Amino acid sequence: MLKRFTERFRNLNPLLLACMAGLTAIGVAFVYSSCSVREDPDLQMLYMRHAEIGLLGLALCLLAAWTDYRPVLRWSWLFYLVSLVLLVLVPLIGEETMGAKRWLFGIQPSEPAKLAVIMLLAWLFSRPEGLRGVWVFLLTLVLVGLPAVLILLQPDLGTAMVLAPTALAMLFAANVAPRLLWTFVLAGVLAAGTLLGVIYAAEKAPMPQERREALIQATHLRPHQVKRLQVFLFPDKDLHGSGYNRRQSEIAVGSGGRWGKGYLKGEQYMLGYLPPSVSSNDFIFAVLAEEAGFAGSLTVLLLFLGVLSSGLWVAFRCQNDMGRLFCVGVVSLIFSHMFINIAMTIGIMPITGLPLPFISYGRTFMLTMMVALGFVQSVSTHGREAEIGF
Amino acid sequence: MGYCGQKRTASWRLAVLAVVFVTGLAVLAVALHRVQVVETSAFTRDQVRQSVRRVQVPGSRGRIFDRNGVCLAENRPSYCIAYYVEELRKRGKWQHTIDAVDADIDRLAGVLGVPRQISKQRVAAHVRQSLPMPLLAWRDVEQVTLARWAESKEAFPGVDIYVQPERSYPQGALAAHLLGYVGRDRPQPRPGEKVHFYLPEMRGMAGIERQVNAWLTGVSGEQLIRVDARGYKHTVWEGRPEVAGHDIRLTVDVAIQRALEKALGGRRAAGVVVDPRNGEILALASAPAYDLNSFVPAPSMGVWNRLNKDADMPLLNRALDGRYAPGSTFKPVTAMAALLSGGFNPEEPYVCDGGFVLGTMRLRCWNTYGHGTIALRKAIEQSCNSYFAHLGYVIGYDAIYAEAHKLGLGQPTGIDLPSEARGLLPIAGTKERAKDNRWRPGDTCQIAIGQGRLLTTPLQMAMLISVFANGGTLYRPHVVWREGPGEVVRSMGWPTGAVARVREGLHDVAAAGTGRRVRVRGLEVAAKTGTAEYDAGGVRRKNTWVTAFAPFGQPTVALAIVVENGESGGLTVAPMVRDVLVAIFGEPEPAPDEDTPVPAENAESRGD
Repeated sequence: MLKRFTERFRNLNPLLLACMAGLTAIGVAFVYSSCSVREDPDLQMLYMRHAEIGLLGLALCLLAAWTDYRPVLRWSWLFYLVSLVLLVLVPLIGEETMGAKRWLFGIQPSEPAKLAVIMLLAWLFSRPEGLRGVWVFLLTLVLVGLPAVLILLQPDLGTAMVLAPTALAMLFAANVAPRLLWTFVLAGVLAAGTLLGVIYAAEKAPMPQERREALIQATHLRPHQVKRLQVFLFPDKDLHGSGYNRRQSEIAVGSGGRWGKGYLKGEQYMLGYLPPSVSSNDFIFAVLAEEAGFAGSLTVLLLFLGVLSSGLWVAFRCQNDMGRLFCVGVVSLIFSHMFINIAMTIGIMPITGLPLPFISYGRTFMLTMMVALGFVQSVSTHGREAEIGF
Repeated sequence: MGYCGQKRTASWRLAVLAVVFVTGLAVLAVALHRVQVVETSAFTRDQVRQSVRRVQVPGSRGRIFDRNGVCLAENRPSYCIAYYVEELRKRGKWQHTIDAVDADIDRLAGVLGVPRQISKQRVAAHVRQSLPMPLLAWRDVEQVTLARWAESKEAFPGVDIYVQPERSYPQGALAAHLLGYVGRDRPQPRPGEKVHFYLPEMRGMAGIERQVNAWLTGVSGEQLIRVDARGYKHTVWEGRPEVAGHDIRLTVDVAIQRALEKALGGRRAAGVVVDPRNGEILALASAPAYDLNSFVPAPSMGVWNRLNKDADMPLLNRALDGRYAPGSTFKPVTAMAALLSGGFNPEEPYVCDGGFVLGTMRLRCWNTYGHGTIALRKAIEQSCNSYFAHLGYVIGYDAIYAEAHKLGLGQPTGIDLPSEARGLLPIAGTKERAKDNRWRPGDTCQIAIGQGRLLTTPLQMAMLISVFANGGTLYRPHVVWREGPGEVVRSMGWPTGAVARVREGLHDVAAAGTGRRVRVRGLEVAAKTGTAEYDAGGVRRKNTWVTAFAPFGQPTVALAIVVENGESGGLTVAPMVRDVLVAIFGEPEPAPDEDTPVPAENAESRGD
């Protein structure tokens, strides 16, 4: 019995597990850093919540690794439907914080929804060859678009947007309607370029005030989103208003220097220049980079490199499409989160409220990510059975 | 294996994704390298700039001593009750913190039993502008209030005693005009240093406090305060320590100063006592004065307005800034001018018949019966107007002007005190231009007896008589002590014989003439009285003078006193001079066989 149990873990990817655990440990350490200056005793204990959820996540991860992913993915349309229902329920009975309704019974349904989308697409794309044409592409747009719109309405632009690169990576890996895909990517790049161009023109080109406002109106973005893009384009425009967080996080990262100021010695969050409301989640990397310096930043990047490469290695070793595509979806999601988060912290991307996987405080997201990696481990343990089976 | 068995997801596509991921990580690594390694110093500087505040802390102000080491101005600790707003900070809007501090001040006012000293506006301004600094809610509180605070301080977190140095004048009103007073101002920042906050520094606003402010003021130090994003103090580093200012020693002698002020009493008067050997000011007083301690920490509006509106003008330093016609105290100058002009015979008799007539002008002598036949020595002793008017007429204005100018009249003496008046020594041409009126011999006669448009300050007259005391050297007067001989402004180059003749006359003034009331037993004094008439809104008033020096042989003291609206120099001022001289030299008990020295009250002693 015990032998059968351990047998299942024999093929766990140790690098993936180690990097995940390492990132989580770093997360606990720096959530402790950032919440230690909070006045509210509950908020001071935030790092304990993070550690607890890390342990729970590890347990769920191992459980997922132990489970065969194939029957689970076959039921993915059910998870997807449940996620959709929960996302619909959020605006109806959700809890509102800071102008956004994202929570339902203490969880953020948008996070498991991402996993459900990846699972569903992995299952869908691994159907027979005939199902990889234009219609599947369009179906994918609908399947990704539905939760994305619901998340966008919360509003949570970052989480909605991060679905796009994930889905694109999976479409690319599965070779679904390649021409349409590239057209789509090109259109997306053009759209983003146009959007930034319009905002740039509205700021710089000589024109009356009404025209400027009309141009901004035409983008159909919310005012705070427009501001974030403006801050990205013109970093010095409003340093005490909308540009404040970006400026302060950049100062935090930059003043960290090569080796950092030392653990628990970060000044930007301690003195409150980096607002405590964001320092333990979206801007945790600024805290880390200030205290641990460039050395710490590189360590984190290397650990993520470990997660991404071992995820891709699992996909490479997997002998079936479903497992491969699932792994591609998960590592793409992690990469997107990481890249956007760190890039916005140092000002090379507009600010979007995206957490840094395993390090940022955020319980639903943490659990989702760990379960997702658990299924990647499951691919590692079960995906090779096919090659034995043949 | 059904759908699971097919493998159409090409491995090269996974490799492409791997390349994308590695590229993404490399982009981040390069960007982080730029921010954290290449440009780190700029970000560190930005961080320091936004979080570090520099506070200027003034050095303690130097003390002022008299020539014998008696303290005239020092610093005393002033106990203030201060709020450290950090500890009362409230979440949310600033107004919450302001309200909390304000309410706490009200509560504390009730416990201490003292009225509030600062308004809510002041609290709000402090929270918004100088948050990391202590907010002084009560300044200079009394011991009983401190005791009450100590009893209940547990109930008031964020409140503490703050000790601030405050100027203190242990001698009260003594030498008020000489010392001046201090105000509060921000310390001088070092060039190129940005200062965010400061503790106010004492700055001299008048008198010696102002004159040697730079010497008394120390070098301000600095504290560095790290503040959080809301401006609250986070950590404090001791930066550069402040350097205390220097003490200063004056030439003034407190005993003489006190005697002079006592002699002047409450009248509108001024006096200067100087050492004729070097120009050291031994006492310098103007009356009426005011209590310096009422000017600490700064003159209140009430005190200031009262002093400003007072008809006696107590804020005016009459010794330096009061301008008076010297009257007969100018006559030694005329005498000297005559002696220096060739062909004047001091023994040549002149007949005073009670006046001097020149054309249609008649100058009355104070002795309406006339002094009869009189020569220079007697004319000085009796202060005969007729004689000196005649003398002026004979030698001409140019000779008088030359000598008066050499003696420093019409010019500042250059004393080391601010706001000194020049006085007025008319140039023969000025009257012509100003009034479209020619300079007439009558004008010369007026000047010769110290009247006319001539104006002098008591300090100038003290320096003038010093020249006669020391035999012909004009020193620059000074109140700040320094070693070595005095600074010579001018050597008169007077022949010994000439100056001796004037000195003989001055000796006789005190011994037997108009200034007999200055006489002190056992001391040979030389003096000159003066009574200058002036027109005060249609009423004839008299400014009365005595200038004197003693001991006659080797003078160590010279002085000038003026009293506004007096009777005559001999009656009003001479007893004051005597009091001062007694204070300086002492007076032995009268020998039993000696006659009482009190002079008879007769017409002679009334004159000048």
